[in-house]
Formats: sequence, structure tokens, C-alpha cells
Amino acid sequence: MLRFRIAPLRAAALLAGAFVGIRVMYRVVFGGASGGGQLLVDLPRLPLGGPFSHVALFGPVTTGGLGNAALSALPFALVILTFGLLNALIDVRRLFARGADRGPLRALSRSLVIAWATFPALIESVRRVRTAGALRGERSAPALLVPVFEQTVERALCLAASMEVRGFAANRTAPAECEKPVVMTDAFLGFEGPGENEHGWHLTGLTLDLAPGTLTVIVGSTGSGKTSLLHSLSGLFQHFDDGTQHGWVVVGGVDRAATPPRETAGFVGLVSQNVRLSFVAETVRDEIGFALAVRGVAAVIVEQRVREVAERLQIEHLLARGIDALSAGEASLVAIGAALINRPILLLVDEPLADLDTPARERVVQVLERLAHEARVCVVVAEHNTREWESAADAWLEVRGARVHALGPGERPSALVSAETAQASAATAQSTEVSRTRSRATATGPAERLAGIRHLTVLHGSERAVDDVSLELWAGDLVALEGRNGAGKSSLLRAIALPSNPGSVIVAGRDVAAMRRRDRRTAVALVPENFDDLLFAVTVAEECRRADRRQRPAAGAGTAARFANLLGLGSVTEAARLMRRHPRDLSAGERLCLVMAIQLAAEPRLLLVDEPTRGLDPEARVLVAAALLRASSDTSAVLFATHDRDFARCLATRTVVMAAGLLAEPEPVRP
Amino acid sequence: MRRPRETGWTGWVLGGGSLLAAAGFAWPLFAAALPEHAQAAAPIVAFALVPALLVALALTLDREMYTAKTVALLGVLSAVGAAVRIAGMGVGGVEAVFILLILAGRAYGARFGFLLGLLTIAVSSVLWGGFGPWTPFQMFACGWVGAGAALLPRIRRPRLEIAALVAYGVAASYLFGLVMNLWFWPFAVGTGTDVSYAADAPLGENVASFALYTLVTSTLTWDTVRAVTTTVGILLVGPAALAALRRAKLGRPGRPARAATPRSTSLPGGGTRTHPSTVPGAAAAPPTGPRPSARA
Repeated sequence: MLRFRIAPLRAAALLAGAFVGIRVMYRVVFGGASGGGQLLVDLPRLPLGGPFSHVALFGPVTTGGLGNAALSALPFALVILTFGLLNALIDVRRLFARGADRGPLRALSRSLVIAWATFPALIESVRRVRTAGALRGERSAPALLVPVFEQTVERALCLAASMEVRGFAANRTAPAECEKPVVMTDAFLGFEGPGENEHGWHLTGLTLDLAPGTLTVIVGSTGSGKTSLLHSLSGLFQHFDDGTQHGWVVVGGVDRAATPPRETAGFVGLVSQNVRLSFVAETVRDEIGFALAVRGVAAVIVEQRVREVAERLQIEHLLARGIDALSAGEASLVAIGAALINRPILLLVDEPLADLDTPARERVVQVLERLAHEARVCVVVAEHNTREWESAADAWLEVRGARVHALGPGERPSALVSAETAQASAATAQSTEVSRTRSRATATGPAERLAGIRHLTVLHGSERAVDDVSLELWAGDLVALEGRNGAGKSSLLRAIALPSNPGSVIVAGRDVAAMRRRDRRTAVALVPENFDDLLFAVTVAEECRRADRRQRPAAGAGTAARFANLLGLGSVTEAARLMRRHPRDLSAGERLCLVMAIQLAAEPRLLLVDEPTRGLDPEARVLVAAALLRASSDTSAVLFATHDRDFARCLATRTVVMAAGLLAEPEPVRP
Repeated sequence: MRRPRETGWTGWVLGGGSLLAAAGFAWPLFAAALPEHAQAAAPIVAFALVPALLVALALTLDREMYTAKTVALLGVLSAVGAAVRIAGMGVGGVEAVFILLILAGRAYGARFGFLLGLLTIAVSSVLWGGFGPWTPFQMFACGWVGAGAALLPRIRRPRLEIAALVAYGVAASYLFGLVMNLWFWPFAVGTGTDVSYAADAPLGENVASFALYTLVTSTLTWDTVRAVTTTVGILLVGPAALAALRRAKLGRPGRPARAATPRSTSLPGGGTRTHPSTVPGAAAAPPTGPRPSARA
């Protein structure tokens, strides 16, 4: 609890000094600096009138008077110094960290622990939003504050949900019946209440019975309600998201509608969609042990259980690591470990593969499969990446409309099938489009060289994220930049859009680095990987207006029209339903289209899109593929980065592969 | 979203505690009314009273705040507040923290606003090292700023609400300066000047001295800067920030919103329920798969 830190003492000394100085100043101004000693300045006395008749300003200043004033301030200055000394010696943070698990001030203490843990995330958030502002050409500070704020509130909610399911603030624990992890009988899930049901989403007639030792995968397109179904089992749907449930949902023998998540933390584990946002502690060890610590379990036992879990997941080497120093795959494993600490009979996992590359995906699937088949846990996964689960899953549930269907053996998720056909038709449509573009290009003679990237290098610390890359782009190009996670694709795109690195970027004959920031967007615009950062307004319509205001587009070609067009809708009126919504309430595919429309508002010659398919279900991918095609006819060229080879191959006019910061293959000669 | 109404005994505790604390702030004004031998003790009592009340109120409210959502929001927002406050010191003491306190208090209610003020000061003081005898007073005053925004009458039209919050922000900025000066005035000036606190002087003269002191110390400078910052801030980020806060829907503490259906409430939540059979072939029952319907 005790340690020594010089900064508080220094601050206290400054304050004490200022206090003495200010008191001396008051004496001089309000006529009290006379006294014994030598006369320094003989200021005239200025008596005030009215209610202030007892006050006179200034007067003679003597050394004795000043000395008296300073001396009289010393006792209080000493008090300030004492506080500083206490602050320097007592580690208040540790004090509250201890009080966060038990004691009469545990709520406020936990809030303080969260506050300190939030600081790094806050700085990260500011950094991200500043980048987003630069990409969007948005410079007003308040516009940038709002996204930071929204991200912060979202983080708070993720944190809260994660704390809730891990037993935070529980005052009782429900007993579990291990043989029946999940029984749903004629259950209905939906949102009732004013203004909540405008989209009419609901699931009805849910009847299912999951056995221990099975791995069930819930599939369905984005927005179909996979996550809500999953959270009707965790209890977050009923008790945290204000959802309505009728019928029976019984988890481990406990009525879900009557039992909040915190009371079932002993036997229900949840790994949430965005694991990083759900971390509540500062180290991996504390994170995994959190659910036990909030129950007041002795530290020795917590430590032992944390080791056990870490051994099972083979992550012992991470235990001492800070929570912010984990790769995406490691973060997923840590989150799974944190959900396993109570030895749950039911483990719920929400889209665990979205952010991971192939090796990490295989590892996570393998871990969950073993938990089901060796440790006899009932594992339920909500996921739209179905391929990875084909060998591990025992049962598939598919959300179709308002119903949930159990797929028989050999049956394939219809979303997948329809998406494949849709993708195939998109591919045909695209090939005609591509040939049309090409014929147009040939009609106007040889393709014009649009952009030249010369010797571009990006350093992250001492690591060369992008190593002397040169690339040519022609008008009419739709180029895929392929490569694994960490190959340097994102760094390259960023360096093209915001050039501040060695090398040159010439677009349409102009050096982008030499252009004014505002004008850069007419040459090149980037839709970054975390494209949500670029959304600043509270409605889609306002977002479009804001984009137009900056760019003054030609009549009839506003951002709203472009957004509707990217979505494949004929006119803005058809998109009216979307225009009123909050941008963050749109589906991921729609949001990406919106950001693309915003970035196209400045009519850039070159559009860059980073990982457009990340976290999208097959249907949304079709939407985005079509949008990319339409965008490519709106501008001269599109360059998109992806680690999804199939997506790249079926869409692009040509492909460039990047690995370890280098363009791995020589650029293929243009046909 | 409807704000939780301040009812119940904690509301009274909060109100009563604030009233007592206000007395602690205003001790220089009525110390003269105390018996002569008690006058010297007045500042000491005030110094002890305010922190003690703070702890008492924190203990009272702590239990009510013990839900995951409240704790998470309180933690994250006080980090934002502290960051804003510390950043403000870098740019000439532009106090922007009131914007957050007012908006969050408005969105989540008086208790939340009060605790947010308290925690924001706590976090920033620990990080920056500005702990001192004034910290409890600052905590109280910031808590009042947050709580006050929630106590404004309910306004349906968004623009009017923002206007009301701006007006409140200006008033709060000056009042904050005033009350913080009030308790500190005798210490800041000391004795021997014409604006010094004099225990034996008539109330009118002390008030006049204090008015002059507060005018030159903060009203014309810091408080005005703060009022302008708060006004501009609420106008610029207010609508969007309020929308973001309200989207988070802080439920009533201790009363999670759930739909108890007649069927589920009629059953005692226990571990040994016998369950009606899961009829295979019913609407969405998993009929054929080997699992999950292992029972069927």
C-alpha cells in the first residue's frame, strides 16, 4: 500500500508556493502590506465607496508587511504539503483495487478501478478518431469529440455486460442442474415498448433442448438475431438489453426470465463478440480470475484456479502480461479462459472467429471442440463463418426470419447457399461490368496511368511495416491487395491516403503529400478497417448532409443518393427508412456502404478500402462486393485490401499480394 | 428515456447531507452568530464536516449504484471527466469538465450525476497529484453541478432542453466559483487586509468583503471562462452526447427491466423443476438431428 512517488509532492510544493504568493498579493492589493521594516514602494491608498466603504486598495508596502503576510500563510501551506506527502506515500489506486471486491465502497471502488483502466483506451480512442477525422477531411474538434464519447459509452456497456455475466454484484447464486444446460419451450423473444419495435424483429416458437458435451452452432445472417438468441441464454437479452421473453427459457434448471445473469455466473460462461472491450482488469491473471474474485474467493484459490485454466488453454506464459499487450488470437483465448474459471456447464461464444486469421481460428475451434467433447461442456457458438465449424459441430441451428430451424445431417445453412448463388450472380454481373469497363477503356485508347506509388516505406518503431513498395494503378482498375494479418496492407493503404512517410504518392499527376489536407480527398480517399470511426452524426441523413456540406457536390449527386445507389436501391426515397436511423444501428454491410458513400463525396480519383469483408456474413459480402463494383464506376480506380482470397479473386480486375511489408509477387502485366 | 425519479430515503439523505454540507461551505457567513467561544472552532468543524458527509453519502449511495451498468458507466465517464480536467490544465485552466457532468447528470439522474462529480475529482486528483484540503469541497461542488442538471424540470423539445442546460451551465459555473471561494476565502486572504474575514464584523461587511474578493479572484476570470466553455461545449456536443448517453439506457438501479410473463412467474425458480416434454415436431424443435435434442 505504501510506495513513494515524487510527482504528487512536487505538485503540492507548487501549490503551497502559489498559495503563499497569492496571499502576499492580496495583502498588497487590499491595503495590508504595511508593517515594520523597510519601505519598498509607497503606493497611494484608494478607498472604495458604497457597500465597500471599509475597503481601501493598495497603500505602502514594507518588507515587514510582506514577511508577515508570507508567515501567516505558512500553516496552511504546510497542510497542503502534508496532503502532498500522504499522496506521494499512499498508493490510492491499490487501496481502491482492494476495496473493489468487497467492503462498503465496492461499487465506487470498482468504478475507480475501471476509470484507471479506461485511460489507455481513451487515449487510443482519441488517436483513432483523429486519424478518422483526417481521412474524412473533418477538422472541427467537437465533431471529433462525439465519436470518442460514443466509443467510450459503448466500451462502458460492453464492460458492464461482461461484469454482469461474470457475477458482479450478485447477492445470490442460483443452483444448477447439470444434466439440462438449455431447455427452451415455445419461447418468444422480441422487443416491446414504445419505439423499440419499429423493425419488428422477433423470434417465436423456440423449442430446443441442448445436452451436455455438445457443440451447437447458431447460424444466420447479420441482424437475424443470432446474438439475441445467444443472449437469451446468457440472460443479457432479458435483463440487460431490455428484451422481452415469453414462454420458457430454462438454463441449468433455472428460469432465465426470473434470474439475472449475475446469479448464474457459477455455471454459465460467456465469451462476447468484442473480447477486448469486455476486459475489466489490467492483467491477464486478474482478468481470468475476475469472476472468482468478485465472489470474494480467497486469493490463493483464485491463483490456483487461474493456473489450472491457463494450463488447459496453454496460455500460462501470458498470465503476467498486460491486457493491452495481447494479439487478437491471444485475447480470444484469454476471454475463453475468463469464461471457464467457474467451470461452467454452458459456454456461450459470440462470433469468436471474426477478427482472427486462419491459424488463430483453428486454435479457437479446437479449444472449443475439446471443451465440448472432452470436458462435457455444452458449448453454443453464434457464427457466420460456418466452414471452420463443419468438423467440430454436433448440431446446427439456423435463424430464418422469425423462426429457428435445426438442421438435419447433410443439410446446409440456407443463408450460406443463397449467399453463394447470390455471389455467383454478382460474379456474373460483375464480369459483364468489368468487361464493359474494359471495353470502355479500350474504346478510349490505352488505359491512362492514374496513380504511381514509388518506394513507399512505413516504419513502426524499428519494424518495416511497409518496405520500399512501388505500385502502379491505371484508370478503371479494381485491384485487390491480398495478404495475411500483419502483412502491412493497412499500413500501405494509410500511407497512400495520409502520406507522411519516405516515398512518393502521385495521383492524377499530383503529389498527394504536397497537397493541402482538404484537397487530398479529391485525389485519394480511404475507407479504413474500423470504418465506424468515420461516423460522426446522430442520423444517417445528417451524416450525408455533413459529407455534402464539406464538398459542395453537383446537384442530384449528393451522398444520400450515392448511398442508396451503393446499396442497390433506385433512389433516396427507397432508402428513407435508413436515413432516419442512427448510423451505428445500421447493419455492418450498410454501414460500410455509408462510409464508402461519404468517402466518395469528394469525388476522389482513387478509392482505397481496407478489409471490406471483415466480420460480414455472406449476404453482406455480396452487398459490399456489388457496392465496390459500383464505386469503381464512380471513381477512376479502387484498391482494396483483404485477407479473403476468394473474395479478391471473384471481384478484382487484378491482384497484388503482400507479405511481410513487401509486394511478394512482381506486379502482373496488365492484359 | 425517462430519468429515474428521485424518491425514497436515499433521496432525502442526499438532500439533507447536501444541506449540511452547504452549511460547511458557508461557515464564514454565520460563524459570527455562534457563541464567542465556538467561533474559533467553526473552520475546523467545517473542515471535518464536509469530508465526513462526503464519506457518509458515498456509503449511502454505493449500495444503490451496485449494478454492473452503473458501475461501468460511472467508471468510464469519470475517466473521461478526469482526462478533460487534466487536459484543461494544459490549456490555461479551461474547465470543460462541467459539460460532461451536466450532460451525464441530465441523462442518468441526480445520484449518478453527484457520484460522477465526486469520482471525476477523485480520479483527476490521484492522477495529477492535486489532493489537498480542498478536494472534499471540490467533490461536493462538482457533485452538485451534476445532480442539479438532473433536477431541472423535464423538457420534451430537444432544443429547449439544450437551451435550459446552457442556462444552467452558466449559472452553475458562477455558483461553483462562488461556493468554492466562500469556504476558502478566510484561508486564502488571511488576516490583516481590508477584505479579510473578520469574525467580529457585522454580516454586511463580511458579505461586502467576500463579494469583492470573489469578484477579483474568480468571477471575472476563471468563472467567466468556465461559463463560456460550458456554453460553447453544450451547444456543440450536447445533442449528440446526450443521444449517445441515452442510447446506453441506464436502467433503474436494482430494478432490471425484464418482462415477467405469467407463465414464468407462476413457477418458482428452482433447480428441480419437472418440465413439460419437448414435443418433437413442434414448430422449431430440432426433430431429426442426433443432438441437441438428445431427449426427443
